[in-house]
Amino acid sequence: MSRLRAIVRHEFRTAAANKTFVVMTILGPFLILAVTLLPGLLSANPAALGGNKPVLILESEPFAAQTAAALESTARPVRLVADSDEAKKEVLGGKAAGFLAGRVLYTKTGTDAVLYGTLGSIVAAMEREEKIVRSGLDPVLLRTLLETPELEVVRLQQGGGERKSGSDEFLSIMFTVLGFVMLLYMTILLYGQMIGRSVVLEKTSKTVEIMLSSVTPRELMYGKILGIGLAGIVQYAIWIGVSLALVKFAGPSLGLSLPREVSSSNLGWLFLFFILAFFLYASGYAAIAAASEDEHHLGQLAWPLIAFLIVPVVLISPLVMNPQSPLSVGLSIFPMTSPIVMLIRIMVSPPPAWQIALCIALLAATAWGMATAAARIFRTGILMTGKRANFKEISRWLRIR
Amino acid sequence: MLEVIDIKKSFGAARAVDGVSFRVSPGSIFGLIGPNGAGKSTIIRMIMNILAPDSGSILFDGVPLVDGHKTKIGYLPEERGLYRKDTVDEILRYLAELKGMSRSAARASIALWLARFDLADRGKAKISELSKGMAQKVQFIASVVHDPALVLFDEPFSGLDPMSQEILLAAMVELKNAGKTVIFSTHIMEHAEKICSEIFMVHRGREVASGKLSELKTKYGRNSVQLEFDGDGAFLRDLPCVESVIPYPRWTEVALNQGSSAQELLAAASARLSLRRFELMEPSLHKIFISLAGGSAEEAIQ
Repeated sequence: MSRLRAIVRHEFRTAAANKTFVVMTILGPFLILAVTLLPGLLSANPAALGGNKPVLILESEPFAAQTAAALESTARPVRLVADSDEAKKEVLGGKAAGFLAGRVLYTKTGTDAVLYGTLGSIVAAMEREEKIVRSGLDPVLLRTLLETPELEVVRLQQGGGERKSGSDEFLSIMFTVLGFVMLLYMTILLYGQMIGRSVVLEKTSKTVEIMLSSVTPRELMYGKILGIGLAGIVQYAIWIGVSLALVKFAGPSLGLSLPREVSSSNLGWLFLFFILAFFLYASGYAAIAAASEDEHHLGQLAWPLIAFLIVPVVLISPLVMNPQSPLSVGLSIFPMTSPIVMLIRIMVSPPPAWQIALCIALLAATAWGMATAAARIFRTGILMTGKRANFKEISRWLRIR
Repeated sequence: MLEVIDIKKSFGAARAVDGVSFRVSPGSIFGLIGPNGAGKSTIIRMIMNILAPDSGSILFDGVPLVDGHKTKIGYLPEERGLYRKDTVDEILRYLAELKGMSRSAARASIALWLARFDLADRGKAKISELSKGMAQKVQFIASVVHDPALVLFDEPFSGLDPMSQEILLAAMVELKNAGKTVIFSTHIMEHAEKICSEIFMVHRGREVASGKLSELKTKYGRNSVQLEFDGDGAFLRDLPCVESVIPYPRWTEVALNQGSSAQELLAAASARLSLRRFELMEPSLHKIFISLAGGSAEEAIQ
């Protein structure tokens, strides 16, 4: 036990006293905020991206004043101009976002889709109004006839509560889920590869035999996983703590607020699934690394593991939209994909408790099994150098007593 | 101290160790010698419990060897290296801790050994900053830092310059004088001859010969003669008193048939060659090995 503790301490120090680790620890919270908060913020308020440049409108055109008023109500600065040549020059010079002359919008970039959409609907509404007036029909009657009713979305909650929901809420859930999933995905990959490299280094630096003269392969393996895992947990705790503190203290002045989904219970789930997923993938990486010859070979052998990690990331939008579908339920029970998928389900709509329990139990059991298999592969594979093992041979190592 | 009883180990179809038995008595330097690929490292890995023998047993102080014995054993493997990012102090303290040493005892022992190898000022240096010779000395220290009763050195001199080799040889003799038992595996028989009191010769996974060095020499040794001469010595091989001839670059070693006298050879050789040296020799381990293991061993050992 004291040997295991010594290995854990050494591996922790090796992982944490390292430039990449320190830089990642400092940058992490900003990356997390950038991924979780900024997209939502920006799509709701594109002007926040800076340089909220005015839209120029040719005042001699009909409806110029009404268009300007309508556009201003969307928080876009507007200026009426008289000279169209002058206005085009301003646009070209980057001083204005666009120049509207009747139905024609002059821009420099051609990519400000939000502006085009807003202007398009304003111009269309103006023209429709004009046609109605000219047709001689009663504008009030027509407006009532053409009015589209808006669908109200109400979320039912466990325990009988109801909550009004809308497309805003969908976006907020989507972005938070995306943020959490990316965080989980990136960190599992990051720490998994760290373990893999550490195991391969044991072979390439030829330290392994010296180590094995004092400890068992199993102690060495578990020590590595625990030591690097501990470094990861410390880093994770710092990230989440600093992110929360940033939003709490600096958030109000920046106009940032946490989405409702970033709750302490969801963060707790994130932490739990991180730990479970970490042990699962760390053992997987360690096993693969023990069988590989060098880092290059490790990269080749690791693709099946990475594929399992990518599946939920690719399927994120069907999973969020249909958290109860058989696909979602299946993937949230299957251990290789369950950490990410179960987290998504919990955040969107809490699944039955037995499913969560089953998922966690299966994950823990698989992680344990994987670690045992890894220790066996490690024991045989670690002394094999200069020869590339194929999957058939690795499965033979697993059966050695 | 250590007893190995009929151990066997195969890797797939290849039989690396095929029924080897020996006993290492306490306080001796035990030479495990044979060419590369003879099975020396496999035997040592089985003693270290890194590989499990297919059959046979290994006893330490009369009881079957278990992982718990590792604190009493030191090991310098042939394939060796240290974590490059650690400093000398860090890695030695870490390895000492893994051998169950207390921190203060480890610190004292490390300081002592670093001073012994003139590395006292390198404690804060990273392994990656050391020269190869220094790194090898640090590895040597790592194998003895916990004051083990038994130390195994597997080809400890590979890649070392002659001066460092002498320093390590002296350290090994020092260990023996301090009452430790040393197992020394090498394919360079001159090294074994210098310091070993007992010898175990292995070839293709089997014992070739074993015993005390002096006994081996009287038992298997033929009288041999070292000759330095000008001229073509090819005829020596055909003389009736000669059993075998080994031409080295600077001299030729001639083994005599049992019962033949060196005077016979001297007369025949001086008649046809201009001799610069004619010296009656004690047979070398190398030669004993080759005469016992056969011609294939001669190729293997070059």
